[in-house]
Amino acid sequence: MIVKEYTGRAIGAAFLLLGNYADALDASQDAFVRAWRNIRRFDGKGTFYTWYSAILRNTCISRLRRRPRNRPVQLANDYPGPESISDPGVLAERNERIDRIWQAVLELSTKHREIIVMSHFQQMSYKQIACVLKVPIGTVMSRLYNARKTLRAKLACDRP
Amino acid sequence: MNCEDLKPLMMALLDGELPPEQREKLESHLATCESCRQELAEFIAMKEKLAMVKFREPSDDELDRYWKSIYNRVERGMGWVLFSLGAIILLCYGSFKLIEEIIRDPKIALILKIGVVALIFGVVILFVSLLRERLAVRKADMYSKEIKR
Repeated sequence: MIVKEYTGRAIGAAFLLLGNYADALDASQDAFVRAWRNIRRFDGKGTFYTWYSAILRNTCISRLRRRPRNRPVQLANDYPGPESISDPGVLAERNERIDRIWQAVLELSTKHREIIVMSHFQQMSYKQIACVLKVPIGTVMSRLYNARKTLRAKLACDRP
Repeated sequence: MNCEDLKPLMMALLDGELPPEQREKLESHLATCESCRQELAEFIAMKEKLAMVKFREPSDDELDRYWKSIYNRVERGMGWVLFSLGAIILLCYGSFKLIEEIIRDPKIALILKIGVVALIFGVVILFVSLLRERLAVRKADMYSKEIKR
């Protein structure tokens, strides 16, 4: 099945949005189930992955909204605990530098994190991102600029 | 156009999504603006750093477990739909028969008949009301419709 190729990307993207590996597995599976149940709504204009990304993104956002406000995604306190960046199954390879990038992304606001995830980690085009977020391409560019600016500042702070 | 207006275009240049006419405009600005050039160089460096982070592809075993769990969810979902449908049909049929029996039975006091009928109708009204409320909430909550785009 062709969608199996998306599994790694889906789990990784969900992990970056939710900051927890178990939640990421559950949310990405939930999104696949929703996609399967609603496959008739897939119009075939874009790629299946773009359509699935919208479902995955909304599934993750719904879960974040249900979380208590005092449970942010930021993982600094339990890093590298059993549910944090040290989780197996998400990163291809790990080293201190990569962990810092990973953590800086997780510290971004949801709005900034999701656009970074789509652009950098899911390699989606501006058109695809605009379609998932339901915003004009100009908004994608300005949001991406602000997200990258914040991320750059975070990475600069972490610089040893 | 000032630097602030051109910064979002810098992103498109960085990601190779800038149309030629805008590219020309941005490049002529970059040729004269040192701070924008500097910022673009920093973004390029950051993009290269981010490119080092790659998601791992799950092994065949992990994939099998992952997809088995998805199939189980789909299967259970269908099971719950059939179960709920059956339960609703049985409950409706049972309630209807019960009301019929009670009304036809001359031994049962009228006040008891009225009580049982009111109770059953009350349950039905509560159920319909709750269902209507849930549907209204679903309509108002954009995140409850993950699929709709």
